[in-house]
Amino acid sequence: MSGPTVGGPSSSGATRVEDEEEIEETPLEQLTRHWMNERHAPDLLPRQEVLLASLLDHIHRQTNIINTLRSDPRSSEDEHLRIMLVQTEIERVKFMVNSYTRTRLFKIEKYARFIVTDEFMQTRLTAGELNHATRFAAMTDRHFRMSVLQSLPEPQSHLDDEPIFMPSMITQPDKTKPVFVRARRHCPPIRLKDGTALEMSKGHISLLPFDVVEDLILRGDVELV
Amino acid sequence: MALPPSLRASVTPPELEMIASQQLITVLPSISMDKTVFISGTYGPLVPMRRCQLPLWMAINLKRKRKCRIIPPDWLTIESLQSHLTNETTQPEFSDLPFRFAEISKVLLDVAPDDLENPDRLRSLLKDIREARQAKSREGLDQLDHNELTLLNLCSMEINEIRPFFIRSMDVLTKLQPVKGPAADL
Repeated sequence: MSGPTVGGPSSSGATRVEDEEEIEETPLEQLTRHWMNERHAPDLLPRQEVLLASLLDHIHRQTNIINTLRSDPRSSEDEHLRIMLVQTEIERVKFMVNSYTRTRLFKIEKYARFIVTDEFMQTRLTAGELNHATRFAAMTDRHFRMSVLQSLPEPQSHLDDEPIFMPSMITQPDKTKPVFVRARRHCPPIRLKDGTALEMSKGHISLLPFDVVEDLILRGDVELV
Repeated sequence: MALPPSLRASVTPPELEMIASQQLITVLPSISMDKTVFISGTYGPLVPMRRCQLPLWMAINLKRKRKCRIIPPDWLTIESLQSHLTNETTQPEFSDLPFRFAEISKVLLDVAPDDLENPDRLRSLLKDIREARQAKSREGLDQLDHNELTLLNLCSMEINEIRPFFIRSMDVLTKLQPVKGPAADL
């Protein structure tokens, strides 16, 4: 009796696999892609908590092994070379993790006042990031109020005005900003701003507004370069 | 500790070089090393004078210590670059060089010129290719509109070079588009 219900999802699952060539990617390659996506995207992209945790864990394990080997006086000259290579790699990965996190931090601080008002944005942040955004927004608000706003007349003392013909006072990501994308596999057609469709094959490079390709980026069909 | 302002607009060439250095390259080691687990994968064992694939950064590290020879990739030879240059100067489109050829060739020419045939000639060919391609990417600016611009076979370093200008231009063209309000839909 479970036949029909099982049949539905599995058959659609099968077509999905046919449509998309699966790309094998190591965790480090994933991080590299997310790092570059985050650097180029005008909007804050979804968090990659699991990936980051597993990489940090791996860094930790490698560091432990190195420390054990270093303290072992029997380790030979060749062994030292290996230790040095492993150590170099750890530093490289740490740099990427750092740069990735700092890129997010930059966007979080820039859009802090928008993040606290927008529930969808909040789902893209980790608990730690959300906490930072909330505190950052509250702190800047208080600072502006204490230093300037409290001395201004009431109509001018708000931080969330939306005057006509002027940008809103709450900075929001500009999703129309163009980005360079490269297709990682054959992509389903997307509709461009002028109404025409574009179907990118693997390796296709294009300059497009971010909002047009946002879905493809989130699905991993394209990467930002 | 947010990202420093100098890095906010775009990535830098050293960062692109770092990404390119993750790619595998063939080396001829002069030392032996057991199979070792790295974060990016498992490499080795290294056996003297037996070809082996390593990430570029590792190959360079060993090369600097004179512990290996690097086998240059197929495209980094005089014949190959010469034919790319011919394509570049006779065809309207970009020739199909690897996406990160600029970074990889620079690293190899800097660190392992003695493993390449005639590095000076390679350098001048790469320079000619670069100039021919640069002229084409400038022509691409002609076709820029608010919609989309396809840049087949453009490489990562070239994208980075034209990025600020192309993004600004397209942004301006987008802003100049009449907004389709509810009135236009009716």
